[in-house]
Amino acid sequence: MSAKEDFIENAKNGKVLARKCTECNELHLATVYFCKKCGNKNFENHPVDGIGKIVTYTIMTVPPEGFEQYSPYAWAVMELNDSNIRISGFLPNIAKPEDLPVGTPAKIIGYDARGIVLEKL
Amino acid sequence: MEKVCVIGAGSTKYGKLDDSITDIAVQASVAAIESAGIKPKEIDAGYISNVFGIADKQVHLGPVIMSNLGISEKPSLSIESACGSGSVSFREAFANVAAGFYDAVLVTGVEKVTHTGTEWTTTYFSYCSDFFYEGQAGASFPGLFASMARAYLTEFNATEEDFAKVAVKNHENGLSNPKAHLRKKITVDDVMNSAVVASPLKLYDCCPFSDGASSVILCSEKFAKEHTKDYIQVIGSGRGGSPAALQGRNHLTTIPSTKLAAESAYKMAGLGPKDIDFAEVHDCFTIAEVVDSEDLGFFEKGQGAKAASEGRTKLNSEISINPSGGLKSKGHPIGATGVGQVVEVFDQLTGRAGEREVKDAKVGLTQNFGATGASCAVHIFQSV
Repeated sequence: MSAKEDFIENAKNGKVLARKCTECNELHLATVYFCKKCGNKNFENHPVDGIGKIVTYTIMTVPPEGFEQYSPYAWAVMELNDSNIRISGFLPNIAKPEDLPVGTPAKIIGYDARGIVLEKL
Repeated sequence: MEKVCVIGAGSTKYGKLDDSITDIAVQASVAAIESAGIKPKEIDAGYISNVFGIADKQVHLGPVIMSNLGISEKPSLSIESACGSGSVSFREAFANVAAGFYDAVLVTGVEKVTHTGTEWTTTYFSYCSDFFYEGQAGASFPGLFASMARAYLTEFNATEEDFAKVAVKNHENGLSNPKAHLRKKITVDDVMNSAVVASPLKLYDCCPFSDGASSVILCSEKFAKEHTKDYIQVIGSGRGGSPAALQGRNHLTTIPSTKLAAESAYKMAGLGPKDIDFAEVHDCFTIAEVVDSEDLGFFEKGQGAKAASEGRTKLNSEISINPSGGLKSKGHPIGATGVGQVVEVFDQLTGRAGEREVKDAKVGLTQNFGATGASCAVHIFQSV
């Protein structure tokens, strides 16, 4: 299974497949092949819960192709609780800023044609 | 390293153009060649920047342009670096002239997309993001910059009205630019009442999709002196990179590649932000100009929005930002934009800018990035 397929399988189960550098312990997403800190190529898998807080977002009202039926929806960046990793994704059913204040807890609920799918907790 | 100069520059009008991608690229190239007063045969190589040639049924643009200029035997290449293609192409041309490989080169940027419609362009432009994490998950470019705007509003004492004033200022400058796409005076109310595209960004916070082509001739100092008195010198060139996806960045109110590119360009020029008389910066969205003005060192982090709001970036104020009207008013033909910025600097520093002239300007800076700033190039120019 490729790193990306593995990453997707984890996302489907609400997890983020991170990898820990065996040299310096720096955490990365599984789609990264060399440690950004020390350049090492060896990692060990380190899946973390896809639960965190929204650090920023937008509410899309002019969507790209394929997203017309979901508009308005949010695309958000979330910082995970158990690490400093950030992950972004599609977050449906958000119509106005009051629906999603920065800091709102959220989690990954799956992965499909809309990429990583998030939901408010 | 050879000293590198710009001896000629030209652009088509930016906007919705009827001519083909090849036609407009050649028109801009001819204008640059004529402005330089050289013969096409004196050009050693062509650097062509373009992103969506496929939309107008022409890729491999280099040889097509060179053939139409009557110099099919000269080497050329095409460079794609999203909305930063023009400045990246300019940088490669600069490096090759500085290294002494070539005496004179043509740098032409071009884009032709408006005939495809808003949905096509919104979708295809999203391919410039880190698609797996962003475009695929429903983020358009307005959406990605809107996320940066939301982060800025959360972190700093700034308002959507502050952002709106960037648009108002750039439209005011663009009124004096006959080649600008949107030549229309607008007010803060117009911006605030325009349709929301991706909250908190509204239609008038966004630059338009444009067609257009821009071209410059870069050469060694020796070549410049042999041909004209009307030239400017490139005194700084820098590049940098950022994590391609916004999620890879710890701070969303700064663009790391701009800071890296600026640092290296300032170092090469032996200058700092206070020495810059005017700057053409990448204002694809109003928030982008605010962030740029901080990352380039003109204002402290978090002060850019207020500075714009107070009029400190207007033409002939503290620092004239985007005297051309910027991407917002002049337009944003993505492959041409970075080259078009150099055309503006050439016009400004050789007394061709007319009503939008920055008074007594000696040093100008260009900053142009790709996508959300995943790639960036900064250049500094000086009159001679």
